Formats: sequence, structure tokens, C-alpha cells
Amino acid sequence: MNDSRRILELAIKAGEILLYNGGEIFRVQETMLRIAKAYGAEDFHVYIVSTGIFATALVDGRLHSTTLVQIPLSAMHLGRVIAVNSLSRDIACGRCEIDEAFRRLETIEAIPFYPPWMRVLVTGLGCAGFGFILGGDFFDSVISFLSGAILSCFLIYADRRKLSKIIANLMASALVTLCGLTFFHLGLGNHIDKIIIGSLMPLVPGVALTTSIRDFLNTDYLSGMIRLIDTLLVASCIAIGVGAVLGAASLFLGVVV
Amino acid sequence: MSGLLSQVVAAFLGSASFALLFQVPKDQFLFGGAAGAASWLCYLVFLRFHPSVVLASFAAAILLSILCRVFAVRRKTPITVFLTCGIFPIVPGSGIYYTVYYFIMSQNDLALYKGIETLKIAVAIALGIVLVLSLPYSLFRAFGRKTQN
Repeated sequence: MNDSRRILELAIKAGEILLYNGGEIFRVQETMLRIAKAYGAEDFHVYIVSTGIFATALVDGRLHSTTLVQIPLSAMHLGRVIAVNSLSRDIACGRCEIDEAFRRLETIEAIPFYPPWMRVLVTGLGCAGFGFILGGDFFDSVISFLSGAILSCFLIYADRRKLSKIIANLMASALVTLCGLTFFHLGLGNHIDKIIIGSLMPLVPGVALTTSIRDFLNTDYLSGMIRLIDTLLVASCIAIGVGAVLGAASLFLGVVV
Repeated sequence: MSGLLSQVVAAFLGSASFALLFQVPKDQFLFGGAAGAASWLCYLVFLRFHPSVVLASFAAAILLSILCRVFAVRRKTPITVFLTCGIFPIVPGSGIYYTVYYFIMSQNDLALYKGIETLKIAVAIALGIVLVLSLPYSLFRAFGRKTQN
């Protein structure tokens, strides 16, 4: 097994983990180049977009190339991004042999997510906090917490059933709106729109929109475009989900929101 | 004043919670929360002096990015970890929601108004971040810790 081939594999693997778990484009590129350079690979080139990595390495005058494509904007795992970053730091300092680097990458890939109950709890707390700063009062926050927790349960379920992104977002936003309306008409909470927006915060692609524009400003036009389209798609799904439930409520129950 | 305090506490709570949602390790997530609270405080204080949401977002993004760079150097952690969590309070999530909501509800004037405002905010935030990220590393080196490993 020649060495350059393995270096390419290692760099690709590190880049894949980074991109998959929410690393920025330029970080992925920099990390891969740094790893290749540290192990002495020559003529190593990478091109990265939000949905894929293309890398080539020249070995003994022969061209080895690898292409890799994956799904954009999956569940972020910043813990893994941190771990890959510190690995690449060690590699750059020459403190990590290539075999050990492979082993460490495997360990990093296996870093678990927090347990489901904790995800439910923090989603609820996050929704409560954002419901409050977007103009709700204390009671609205409590209701946002409840709707957010229910939303999180649904998202975990959707993740296990591997529902498509569009369907999951449609159903999730409809569910959140339904929860908000139900609680509101039970006499809980004061501002129905703040409750709904607060508990939609985990779905709304605000960070993705900002990242997209950052990509544009970094002249990564293609990545920016990919993310922008993703943002628009997700936002439309959410609006349709919310709009359908609100429309149905005003049609059948005479509720005006 | 107590209104401001409760706002900042809520922003901290929200950002720190979402940091955990993004699987930030337990020894780091509080810094994400602190970044979020600081950016929201900056946003609110700016709005008191000048009633422009876009400029307030820009100022908040600049403060946030500086703080995140300091955290990143200090804790040897990719800046994206703090930035992703800290940006949540100022990010135009509700703007996107209202834009598409009005669009679906055929209130096209409002949709256009909200859409342009949302885009302006997003550009302002991104510009603030990119500006601070392009500052030379040497400005932040002083915050790094000396380590023997």
C-alpha cells in the first residue's frame, strides 16, 4: 500500500467528518491541505462545496483521484468538529503517525450524540429563551418550552424513520402550530405568534442563511448558492406547514390569528 | 433595566441550549451561551440609540465575532463552535418566517418588505463576521494560552 494513497484517504476522511458535522468550507479545505502537507504529499488539490469534496493527489507521476459526495446540512455535531481540529493540530506538529491518525478519526466518528431526553430538554429550553427575546412574556415561554419539547420528540422520530427533509419540515411545523393553537385555546399563553415563532426556532434556517451569505462573501459562490436554495426550500416548507394549520383553523373553527 | 437583564438571561439560556443541541461538549457550551448573550445585549443597547435593526445586527455581529475569536484562540477551538451558537439571537429566523408566511397568505407587500429587511439583516451579519474574521491573527495572539505539550 503506497503512502500517498493513504495520505489522500486520511485527508478525505477528515474533510468528510468536518463537512458532514458542520465545519465551514474554508476550514475543511485548510485542514485537508494541512494534513497532506504534514505527511509530505505533493501536488495535493482539493475543491470543496457544501455537498461534496473533490480531491486529487499525484503519486509517482500517476494521478490518484477521489470524489466524494454527501448530504448537506445534516444534524450538526460540533463536538466532532472540535475533535478533528485538534487532531489536525497534532498532525501539523508531527505528533501523530498516520496509523494513529486513522484510529483517532474512527474514534471521532463514533463520538455519540447526547441522549434523546437531553435533546428534548435543550430544544425546549432554547425555544423558551428565543420565544422570550422575540417578544413573548414568561407564560408564552413556558408554552414555547412545551411545544418545543414536542417538536423535538417528533424530530427524533423523523430522524429514526428517515423521513425526507421536506416532509419532516412540513409535518414538524404543522405540529408546532397545532400545539401552539391548542395550548392557546386552552387559555395558556398570551401571544400566539410569539409562541409559534419561538418553538419554530430549531427549524427556521437563520444560521444557514447567514452561512450562505458568508460563503458568497468568501467567494465560494457555489456553496453559497447550495445553502441559499436549501434555506429557501426549508423556509417554504415551514411556511406551508404553518399556513395550512392556521388556514384550516380559521376555516373550520373561525379562529383568526 | 430589569427588562434588559431578563432579555440577556433569556438569550444566554437560548444560545447555551442550542449549543447543546449542536452537540458542543459540556466544557464549551457555556461560552456559546455567553457569546449569544453578549450579542443580544449589544443589539438591544444599539437599538436604544439608533432605531435601525440592520445596523444593530451589524454592530452585534462585530462584537460577537470579536468575542468568538478571543474564545477560539483562548480555548483552541474552531471559531464556528461559538459563532454558530452565539449568532442565534440576532439571526433573522423570525424574519424568514414572516416573509414566507405573508407570501403564502398572499400579503405580497408585507412579504416583500419583510423579505428585503431579512436579506439586509443577513447581509449585515455576514459582513460583520467576515470583517472581523479577516483581521490578522496577530491581533488576537495575546489571548492565547501558553501550553507545554
